[in-house]
Amino acid sequence: MKSLDKSELIAALLLIALGAFVAMKAWDWPYLTKDGPGPGFFPLWIGGLLVGLSVLLIVLQHSAARKSGKAPPATSWKGARPVLVGWVALMVAVALLKPAGFAVAYALLAAFLVRVVFRQSWFAALMVSVVSAAAFWLVFAKLLRVQIPAGPWGF
Amino acid sequence: MDVLAGLAQGFSVALEPMNLLWCFVGVFMGTVVGILPGLGPSATVALLLPLTSQMNPTAGLIMLCGIYYGAKYGGSTTSILLNVPGESSSVVTCIDGFEMARKGRAGPALGISAIASFISGTFGVVLLMLIAPPVADFALRFGPPEYFALMALGLSMVVLLAGKSMTKALLSMFVGLWLATIGIDLFTDEARYTFGRIELMDGINFIVVAIGAFAIGEVLANLGVQSSGQNFTVPKGLRNLLPTWQDIKDCRFAFLNGSLVGFFVGVLPGAGSSIASFVSYGVEKAFSRHPERFGTGVIEGVAAPEAANNSDAGGALVPLLTLGIPGGGTTAILLAALILWGLKPGPLLIQDNPQMFWGLVASMYIGNVILLILNLPLVPLFAQILRVPGYVLYPVILGVSIIGVYSVDQTLLDVWLMAGFGLLGYLMRRLDYPSAPLILGLVLGDLMENAVRQSLMMSNGDVSILYSRPLAAAMLLFTAAILVGPLFRQVNTWRLKASEQEV
Repeated sequence: MKSLDKSELIAALLLIALGAFVAMKAWDWPYLTKDGPGPGFFPLWIGGLLVGLSVLLIVLQHSAARKSGKAPPATSWKGARPVLVGWVALMVAVALLKPAGFAVAYALLAAFLVRVVFRQSWFAALMVSVVSAAAFWLVFAKLLRVQIPAGPWGF
Repeated sequence: MDVLAGLAQGFSVALEPMNLLWCFVGVFMGTVVGILPGLGPSATVALLLPLTSQMNPTAGLIMLCGIYYGAKYGGSTTSILLNVPGESSSVVTCIDGFEMARKGRAGPALGISAIASFISGTFGVVLLMLIAPPVADFALRFGPPEYFALMALGLSMVVLLAGKSMTKALLSMFVGLWLATIGIDLFTDEARYTFGRIELMDGINFIVVAIGAFAIGEVLANLGVQSSGQNFTVPKGLRNLLPTWQDIKDCRFAFLNGSLVGFFVGVLPGAGSSIASFVSYGVEKAFSRHPERFGTGVIEGVAAPEAANNSDAGGALVPLLTLGIPGGGTTAILLAALILWGLKPGPLLIQDNPQMFWGLVASMYIGNVILLILNLPLVPLFAQILRVPGYVLYPVILGVSIIGVYSVDQTLLDVWLMAGFGLLGYLMRRLDYPSAPLILGLVLGDLMENAVRQSLMMSNGDVSILYSRPLAAAMLLFTAAILVGPLFRQVNTWRLKASEQEV
C-alpha cells in the first residue's frame, strides 16, 4: 500500500537534508564559549529540530494513511508547466538586469509573459511591455530617484 | 491640567499655516511612499533630512513624523491589492487582506485599514501624550531576558498562523529562523552560511523573502491558472466599496487590541512594528469566536495588524522623545534630525522644548484626520486596480517587486534570492506549508538569538535568568498558555468524541 504522497515525501527529505546541512556546518563553530553560547549554539538546535520535525512529519503522514486504510490524495501539479516557464523567464530577466538594464530586461520579460504564457496578441505584448517599462523608469528612476539597474544606454 | 494646557499650546503651534502645510506635505508623501514598495519611511526621512536643516525644528519634526506615520497608512494598500508587502509589518495584512480582495472585498479591506489606522494612530498619540514618561521608564527595565521572553511570545504566534498542519508551520518557522542566522555573528565575527559572498555578510533582508514568498509566489500560482482576464471581482457602487457599519462593529475589539499591542510593543526599543502586527493578529485570532475563518479573508484579520502597525508609531516616539533612544531605523534618523537642529535628545528634551513636543502631538492629531480624509476617498480608486486584466497586472507586480527588492541594498543577489524564494513560495503553497511562519522566524530569529546569548552572558551561563525575572516569567507563562492552548482544545475534542461514542 502506498502510504505517502511522493511530493510530500520529497519535500520532507529535502528538509531533512537542509537540517543536516545546517547542523553539520554549525558543528564547525563553537557551541559554547567562556561568555556563553557560541555561534554554533542556535544553528545546531535549528538544524536538529528541522531534521526531527521532518521525520515526525513523515511518521505522522504514514500513520494517518495507515489508520485511514487508503493512500493520501496526491498533490496536484496541474498547471505547473506555465509556472516553470514563467519562473525561468524571470530568472533570465534577472540575469539580463546587469548587462541590459532594468527597462530592457523587464520589457522582454513582460512581453514574453503576455505573449507566451497569457497567449495574448503581439500588439498587447508590445503595449504592456513598453508602456509599463517606461512608466517604471519615469516614476521610480526619474521622479523618486530610486536606484534601479541601468543598461549601457542609460536606462 | 498640565496636559490640557500643553495640548492647547500644541494646537496653537500646529495650526500655524506653515506648520499645517508641512504636516500635510509630510502625511501626503508618507502615504505615497507607503504605497510604493522599495521606498520605505526611513529612506524617505533620510532623503529629506538635509532639506529640513534650514527649517525650524518644530516644523521639521512635524513633517518628518508625518512621513513616518503617513507611510504606515499607505503600507497596507499593496498588501491588500497585490499581496506585495512593502514593509515587515504589512506581511500580516496580506494574510486576510489579499483573501478579501480575492473575494471582491478589496474596498472594505482598504477602508477598514484606513479607519483602523486613524483610530489607533489617534490612540497612540493620546497615550504618547498621557503616559510617555512612566512608560519610557518601564521600557528601560526590559533587559535581554525580557526581550527573549517577548521574542518567545512572538514566535508562539506560529500556533495561530498554522494552517492544517502544525508540523509544517513549525518547519516553515525553523527555516525562517535558520535564514535569520545567515551573516556575520555579531558576538564572534564568525561568518555563518555566507558561502563566501560578501553580500550575505549582513544577512538576508526580510523584504527579499517576504516579496519572494508572497508576491512572486502569488504571481507564479496565477500563471498556473493561466487566467488572462480579470482575476478579481470589484463590486460597483461606492457603498459596496467601503466597509459597512457591521464591518466596523465586527472590528471593535481589533481596533482596541491593535492599538494597545502596537503602542506597548512600539515603546520597546528594537522590538519593531512587525512583532506588534504579528502579536495583535494572534491575539485577535485567539479571542475570536470564529478563529477557523482567519486566513480566509476576515475583516478583523486586517483591522488588528493595521491598528497595531499605526499605534506603534506613537509608541516608538516615546523612548525617542523622553530618553533619546531610537527604537528602529526611522526613529534613529529622527534622532539624527534632532541633533542636526541643535536639540539635545534625552530626559530634558520635553521639559526644555515644550513647544516642540506639544506642537508635534497636536500635529499628529491633525495629521491623522488629514490622512483619513485623504485615504478614504481614494479607496474606490485603488480598488479599481483589481479590474486590470491578469496579463497586465502580473508583469507589473513582477516589475514592482524587482525594483522594491533591488532598491533595498542595490545588490543583484537580492533579486536572485527573491526569484528563488518566489519558487519556494509557490511550492509551499502547493504542498500546504504556510508562508507567514517563515517570515515570523526570519524577523524574530536574530533578535531572539541575541537576547538569549546576552542573557546567558549576563548570568555566566545560568539558564534560570531567562525565567526568574517577574516580567520575563509573566510573558513566558503567557507564551506557554498560547502553545498549550491548541493541545487542550484537541484533548477536549477527543474527550467529547469519546463521550459521544459511549452514549
